[in-house]
Amino acid sequence: MSVVWQQSTHGVPRRKEQMNQVTARAFVIGIVLATAFVGGYLALGAANVRLSNEVWALHNDVARMQRESSRLETEIARLSSIPVLQVRSVALGFAPAESVGFIELETP
Amino acid sequence: MLRGPEARLRLVSVLFALVFVVIIGRLVWLQVIVRADWKKEVDTLLDRPYGLPSPPPGVILDRNGDLLVGNAPIYVVGADVSIIATITDTVEAAADLSPLLGRDVASLQADLAVKDRTWVRLAWAIGGEAAYELEDLKAEKWYWLTLEPTWERYYAEGALASHTLGFSNERGEGYGVEAFHYRLLKPQPAVAQGEVDAASEPYPEEMAQGKLRAIQGTDLTLTIDRTIQAFVEGQLDKAMADYGAYGGTILVMNPKTGAILASASRPCYDPARRSEYTEDQRDLFVDPAVSIPYEPGSVFKVITAAAAVDSRGVGPGWSYYDNGALEYGGVVIRNSDREAHGTQDLQGLLSSSLNVGAATLSTQIMGADVFYRYVRAFGFGQLTGIELVAEVPGFVHLPTDWDWTDSTLATNSFGQGIAVTPLQLVTAVSALANHGTMMAPYVVAERRYADGTVVPTTPRPLGQPVSRATADYIAELMANTVADRYDKARVPGYPMAGKSGTAQIPTSGGYDPVEVITSFIGFGPMPDPEVVILVKLDRPQIETYLRWGTQTAGPVFQSVASRLFVLLGIPPTEPVVEPEQ
Repeated sequence: MSVVWQQSTHGVPRRKEQMNQVTARAFVIGIVLATAFVGGYLALGAANVRLSNEVWALHNDVARMQRESSRLETEIARLSSIPVLQVRSVALGFAPAESVGFIELETP
Repeated sequence: MLRGPEARLRLVSVLFALVFVVIIGRLVWLQVIVRADWKKEVDTLLDRPYGLPSPPPGVILDRNGDLLVGNAPIYVVGADVSIIATITDTVEAAADLSPLLGRDVASLQADLAVKDRTWVRLAWAIGGEAAYELEDLKAEKWYWLTLEPTWERYYAEGALASHTLGFSNERGEGYGVEAFHYRLLKPQPAVAQGEVDAASEPYPEEMAQGKLRAIQGTDLTLTIDRTIQAFVEGQLDKAMADYGAYGGTILVMNPKTGAILASASRPCYDPARRSEYTEDQRDLFVDPAVSIPYEPGSVFKVITAAAAVDSRGVGPGWSYYDNGALEYGGVVIRNSDREAHGTQDLQGLLSSSLNVGAATLSTQIMGADVFYRYVRAFGFGQLTGIELVAEVPGFVHLPTDWDWTDSTLATNSFGQGIAVTPLQLVTAVSALANHGTMMAPYVVAERRYADGTVVPTTPRPLGQPVSRATADYIAELMANTVADRYDKARVPGYPMAGKSGTAQIPTSGGYDPVEVITSFIGFGPMPDPEVVILVKLDRPQIETYLRWGTQTAGPVFQSVASRLFVLLGIPPTEPVVEPEQ
């Protein structure tokens, strides 16, 4: 790195670093890339955490809904079970059929 | 000393480099050199099992998709007693929880005041509204409550088909389809081991590994039809009440496929309340249809007749002289009516259910080798392979057995000295109904896996014990027997084939002089039967002279068959002529 003394300011001589232009550009590009990489990594990490939490929450929601679904299934089965249907039928005035058979119809 | 900015810059650079080296060195120390020790410590702190609530076990449906066994979501309720703040809390909490858990306040208070443990279970199987209220209580007030979600089997139709459905414990031990298909029905819980946070939720790295794979149990669709099953059970209950029977079994099978449409046995039990049964009552769990063999009596004559026809060409031209007794192997065989019936053909043998005729076929026409070859071919003494736990093969004494005697050949011919299960008998007779092909009985029509794959059961022939011509001939003889003799078993509009049986019950040293097992097995409508029905009544307690298969099981067969054809949508095959009253 070469040093070029410039004009003095208030009597104190100041110097100016004269960097190689290519090195400087590479350094800046390096910094930008490193920042982008780190930023990307952090963003990816954050997204991973957020998605993991969402997946975990979805798993729990599925389990909860599965339990609710099973509860409703059993309730429907209870309401449509033969003993319950019989009781409700009798309450509505129906009576068990004494004889059940096919009806013979005349062929037109 | 440090003159000029360049020197100072160099110094700062050196310092930064030193710090960097120190940091890198430290990182290498921690991450490489002592990594194993630290990893162990971190694992101790963070590596714990985690999981999701277990998915439900598979459900069991009837052939129409109606739920027979489902799953009710329940909670195991507990308390982390180590973090209950004050004694006052235990008093107040016990009062809050008592109505929801169905426990008295004092016992709850005692549980909450436990000091020698960190966790106590307060209640097992809490569901419904109480569960919701407990969740609210936990969220708003008693944060130390623990609610562990689990499942309880729900039997939608109560005790209906209890022997077929059965139950199982955590180890898969039990009865019926539930125990037989325990591994299929059981879900695979989503549980894993890994790094978790304070709330026992996995870290993202853990989630990314996708260790959690909750797979619910496989659903089973049965061949049982709940409507037919309910009707059959009703008829069995009525028959037991009418005839004072101690127990009984009715089996309905499709002879073309082997599908069991209904299997009812008494006594039975309520699987939802199985834990309430005492040790002495555990016999109720055993399915008589597959696990309790009995001596079938005269219904076995159709097997003997089929064997004789198939092996020795006994047919329409064959006859024998029935003088009412046959001495063989030191035992005198007599007809049940103690009468001599003169010259009889095969039709007469079956219609009059002649023991002497059956013994003549086994001892003089076939001989032991041929007779037992056919007994085995019909599946007796072997498991049918149905998907029910604890099926037994029955007892068939073969000439090679130490306890077999010559007289066994004679008595076996009419169903004495041989023990079969109701399922074996139905399976064997179904071969006669299905033109000689014996289908394997089954109760699971299809399996529906968690990924949606449906695997139907393919009907499987067990064998062809007799030729088509033999089977059709015996079926015709059985149909003639119903038409001519069994007016109480006839079904208007449907030609039926059948045979009754009245079997003595073996006791130590002989046979019970009074008690019998009455039965009737038949199929129809002829000539292409759709169903085989077995009705068996144990120890009917009516007048002794009425304790016959024709008098007790026959009428039950008639009522079951006549309704069954309507439920299955099978129209009459001949003009309906109602029997005279």
